Amino acid sequence: MTNDEFDILRDAKTPAPDGAAKARALATAMAAFDAAEKSAAAPQGSAAGLRLTDRTIRFWREMMQKKLVAMPALAGLVALPVAGYVGWQVMEEFRAARMYADALVETEAPERGRVEAPQAPTAPAMEESGSGAADTLAAQPAPAPQPDGPAVLLNRTTQPAARDLQGGGALAKRMAVPTARPGVAPEPSITREDRERFERFGTNPVRSALENPVSTFSIDVDTASYSFVRRSLKEGVLPERDSVRVEEMINYFPYDWPGPQSADAPFNTTVTVMPTPWNADTRLMHVAIKGYEVKPAEKPRSNLVFLIDTSGSMHSPDKLPLLKTSFRLLVDQLGAEDTVSIVSYAGSAGTVLEPTKVADKAKILAALDRLEAGGGTAGEAGIEEAYRLAGESFVEGGVNRILLATDGDFNVGQTDDEALKRLVEERRKGGVFLSVLGFGRGNLNDAMMQAIAQNGNGVAAYIDTLAEAEKVLVEEASSSLFTIASDVKVQVEFNPARVAEYRLIGYETRALAREDFNNDKVDAGDIGSGHTVTAIYEIVPADSPARMIDDLRYGEARESESVAKADEYAFVKLRYKAPGEAASRLIETPVTDGNAVPAFAGASEDARFSVAVAAFGQKLRGTDAVADYGYDGIMEIAAAARGADPFGYRAEFLSLVRLAAALEGGR
Amino acid sequence: MMAPMTEEEVCDAALARDAAGGDRAAFAALVERHYGFVFRLAWRLTGHRADAEDIAQEVCARLGRSIRTYRGGSAFTTWLYAIVVNAAHDCGRRAAREAANASAWGAQVLIEAAGEAGEDPAEALWAAVRELPAKQREAVTLVYGEGMNHAGAAELMGCSEATVSWHVHEAKKRLRRIAAVGEVRS
Repeated sequence: MTNDEFDILRDAKTPAPDGAAKARALATAMAAFDAAEKSAAAPQGSAAGLRLTDRTIRFWREMMQKKLVAMPALAGLVALPVAGYVGWQVMEEFRAARMYADALVETEAPERGRVEAPQAPTAPAMEESGSGAADTLAAQPAPAPQPDGPAVLLNRTTQPAARDLQGGGALAKRMAVPTARPGVAPEPSITREDRERFERFGTNPVRSALENPVSTFSIDVDTASYSFVRRSLKEGVLPERDSVRVEEMINYFPYDWPGPQSADAPFNTTVTVMPTPWNADTRLMHVAIKGYEVKPAEKPRSNLVFLIDTSGSMHSPDKLPLLKTSFRLLVDQLGAEDTVSIVSYAGSAGTVLEPTKVADKAKILAALDRLEAGGGTAGEAGIEEAYRLAGESFVEGGVNRILLATDGDFNVGQTDDEALKRLVEERRKGGVFLSVLGFGRGNLNDAMMQAIAQNGNGVAAYIDTLAEAEKVLVEEASSSLFTIASDVKVQVEFNPARVAEYRLIGYETRALAREDFNNDKVDAGDIGSGHTVTAIYEIVPADSPARMIDDLRYGEARESESVAKADEYAFVKLRYKAPGEAASRLIETPVTDGNAVPAFAGASEDARFSVAVAAFGQKLRGTDAVADYGYDGIMEIAAAARGADPFGYRAEFLSLVRLAAALEGGR
Repeated sequence: MMAPMTEEEVCDAALARDAAGGDRAAFAALVERHYGFVFRLAWRLTGHRADAEDIAQEVCARLGRSIRTYRGGSAFTTWLYAIVVNAAHDCGRRAAREAANASAWGAQVLIEAAGEAGEDPAEALWAAVRELPAKQREAVTLVYGEGMNHAGAAELMGCSEATVSWHVHEAKKRLRRIAAVGEVRS
């Protein structure tokens, strides 16, 4: 190779990659990597894959139970960023899957044949490409035979569908569903109910009260689905139907159901029967459960200072972006009277946010969003500033704490570790504590972190992987999570004399077999202090013209049996175990005319709002029952039932309904 | 020709193998390590920072999705290179569509997007390189932009060394012709 006039090409400088762009790209890579892992595991129908998502959900659920995290317990503070990490992962996976679906649409058609790096099959790919997906599925090795239990049943249930796969996309889509939705019925119940779910995946069917008078489900819920939906709508896309789980949307919102008076009866159940807004011929049976609330006297006010390392080394996706998500979640957990301040340090330390009440949450979140990585680290100036702010808004007898988030490059500069430790120790005596949260790997000065956290009466938690997060969560945080009852199950028996048909709205992934209700070995969800759970049935009265199912010609009238309880709609049973007990206890509530309100407006504000959320969720899922009911109707109900809404959750819901209406109108 | 692997290649191979096996940390290290190469290549092929960043991000996403299918049959960089070129190609088609749309909005958009070439003769020459047919552009980018020899470029492009030499030769011929036209004009 000789030199020539083209050598000037060699001299042209390429610009250096931009750090932020690189961080974004790396985050995308990791999200795609994780998403691919999920889809690679899932088509095999292996229980292991399902459990993974289940575990994620369990974290999320435990973390989202707002009142469970007692603020004074510093372990709780550690647990929250962990939840942030989990949430971040869940959302990134979800987004990556959708981005991929979009990419497929884009690269379709004319250039099919061009060279492309081979790609692992993913769930969206199956949905896009119909019969091709069927081939992929057919090519998957069958699940390894196992001698007993769920795997065999699962295998058998998927067989008929597999035979039909030549038929094309619709079935392939159904098959793909379990990979796309992180929600699974408890394993022992993969029997009749679960096959039901595979065949008519998702939305619960209308059932005849005569033939199937009993409906059973686990109380276990999380709220992740609402975040998915919100994120999707805010990005201008109607959410994937399978990502919408109605019960999670309903339970996202705090409701003020009447609670029990003492811990002896851990819940109170409030049942309301009201007219259905979307169908004049049916009614809604609204079951609201509220757990005993451990008195908030133990929950003093908090004064938190986030001391955030924004040095250049914080670029990577598992550092600053993860940290922001974590703190955002933490802010969500705080009370309106608590204060938050933010100090960043990088090159020069600066106050990003003066002490601000959590009531002004938007301001706090905006300040968090503005944080950008860049520059060197000057830890000492930052910590001085943080202590100054903590002192400024000091709460006597409350929680005064600095949360130092760093990847460990804390002490570039003059001060040695000893001097820093002395500073922290000295301030601790003044009542301001310090916890250290380590992010990322490779750069972490663990010894120094431990040292300053211990001297500051705090914990040092090191958050780099999910496994480590779990460890921290289990070891540090379980003490502060306050479970008041475990394995909570709900069973509703309908009186066929009053109710012809019923349909449970949501809870598809939480269905239990009827006999599991009394089987204490069957696991179900736990309920924490102050936790509320809401379930809504749409019921068709016996004399209503809206009945979908004809009477059986040879069905026998059983009126004689139920005549004595003629005024009962249904009988609601709750089964739970007190913490540490093996045998369950039972709470029973009959639903009579006394529970009924003649007009929808007569129901409580919270009940009406939850109905609006239920309608919205079903609308997004494309449920037939609400097909003729418009978004404007949902908005009307929700707007009228907004109530005090101290954190703006309900206002946000309204804006989401508007967005969905606009997006659907544009389709 | 099978030259003994350099230390870097050995390390790449090991990382890629672990990542293909599902090792998250290995994958992160692999992407971190090659982001610069991906970005430079994308920048050379497009001449725009924003496009290059988009392409690099897209490449990262594709890597995440498909790393598990990497079987070590070819060097990791060869495999990666194919992904970058494809992503740049997709981006080019998108840009062409957008340019067509933009013409409806007037020339302003196009002027703004006219590039960061500036007055630098090397940049002007690179702009001309980007107008070359795809294979010639790739060959020049690897040989001049990445400073590779023809054999190395051939390995990445999946063709023989002679073919690379021919692409480079053709490219120079064209570039000289373009340059001559430019001089006549100015």
